Amino acid sequence: MIELININKRYRTSAGTKVVLNNVNATFPKGKSVGILGLNGSGKSTLIRIIGDAEPPNSGRVVSQGKISWPLGYTGGFQSNLTARENARFVARIYGANTQYIEEFTREFAELGEYFDVPLRAYSAGMRSRFAFSVSLACNFDYYLVDEALETGDARYREKFRLAFQERSASASVILVSHNEQTIRRNCDMAAILHDGNLDVYDDLKEALKFYSYLQTRKAA
Amino acid sequence: MANIDVSSSRKIHASDVLEALSTQVRVIHALILRETKTRYGQHKLGFLWAILEPIIMVALFVAIFAGMRNDSPGGMPLVPFMLIGIVPFAFFRDVMNQLQGAIVSNKTLFAFPQVTTFDVILARGLLEILITFGVFGFLLSMIHLAGYSINVQRPLEVLAGCGLLAMLGLGAGFTFASISPILPSLRQITSAFLGRPLFLASGLFFTADSIPSEIRQYLLYNPIMHILELIRGAFFFEFETSHGSWHYAIAWSVGALATGLITHQALRKKAIVGL
Repeated sequence: MIELININKRYRTSAGTKVVLNNVNATFPKGKSVGILGLNGSGKSTLIRIIGDAEPPNSGRVVSQGKISWPLGYTGGFQSNLTARENARFVARIYGANTQYIEEFTREFAELGEYFDVPLRAYSAGMRSRFAFSVSLACNFDYYLVDEALETGDARYREKFRLAFQERSASASVILVSHNEQTIRRNCDMAAILHDGNLDVYDDLKEALKFYSYLQTRKAA
Repeated sequence: MANIDVSSSRKIHASDVLEALSTQVRVIHALILRETKTRYGQHKLGFLWAILEPIIMVALFVAIFAGMRNDSPGGMPLVPFMLIGIVPFAFFRDVMNQLQGAIVSNKTLFAFPQVTTFDVILARGLLEILITFGVFGFLLSMIHLAGYSINVQRPLEVLAGCGLLAMLGLGAGFTFASISPILPSLRQITSAFLGRPLFLASGLFFTADSIPSEIRQYLLYNPIMHILELIRGAFFFEFETSHGSWHYAIAWSVGALATGLITHQALRKKAIVGL
């Protein structure tokens, strides 16, 4: 499981200090897909970056057992003037994995064809996320942090990923961040809602979505 | 969670240190390969340019100075003299320049928790030092083939001098790399006030002895001037420096490197957030 203990995060902006996470405590059990819902600008990406240790919190800590992926998004981590093959090799090297295996797995799973040896800058958003997901699947993480990117790409390919994650759900979990409740409904077993610096975890997905639609109407009002 | 004991989780074990060290070595290795690809991968001319640039510079300045006077500076033959100024200077200037943008241009990499700002800066520095050594060796063998006798008087001191220049470059580079995410216009400032003036005032084209003493006393505040004097004194049998001081050069190099590492340590969190 992943446990967030007393996490605080603030940013200093020209308009003053903004509190993004206010003493957040939460537990994400293993083997469950957790959706984190939040309105735009509520700090979802910051939260997922803190869970993935890509950014330090001002105080508090993240305790986890198992390997956590980097935050998977549209571009995160990849250099656009290198090819998919070169980027995959880089990921394999920094994780100390077998370069050849990662390269082969990614090439087959991403279905990029000859684009596999073309620099990423020529890719569409859908191709990029296909690549990002394939590399991370090759790395066999225990937790996959996903930042919005599931919605890109064609439906057939989305289904392929969903199945791949499902197949691993005994050993791996997904933590998915989105502002879109459809995405969460389709992919998650439980949800947490980030609002006003607080993170509320709901075991019941329906209840979470109900509260989220309340938040949305409150904002619209 | 019952099994998390704060006191034991804060204790540092030897195995953790080894693990962290091996991760860092792996990451720096991966970064160096990646930098090499991004710098030279697309353009086949990249490596060629690394060698051509100093050749053109040496040729240009040899032509200028051969037209101006007939004697060789400090008794040294003109072509090797220029070479043993322009190429060692690159250990400072190119390392400094390459490092400056290290954090900014690698920002997407910090999504990977094991990649740190320190790693990306150091990887660029190591690659630049390796390239400069390669270029140095290649050009020395070239002028040897061209008929100049390359007889290095004290090779270890030449290496030590190059090492000090690289330390100065790393120190300046770590400092500027850490500041530039916060101050994006820094590159123009360092190039106008550091790169170009030092190129002219570090003795690439003259020896300290050939300068009037009123000017020399000021030029000798520049540690690079000292190091180039020392390198030439160690390289050529014909020349011994009466001005270069190892103590002065080492004090500057160590000081610069310490300043760079301290600045980086102080600013690294801010640098990532600012991106």
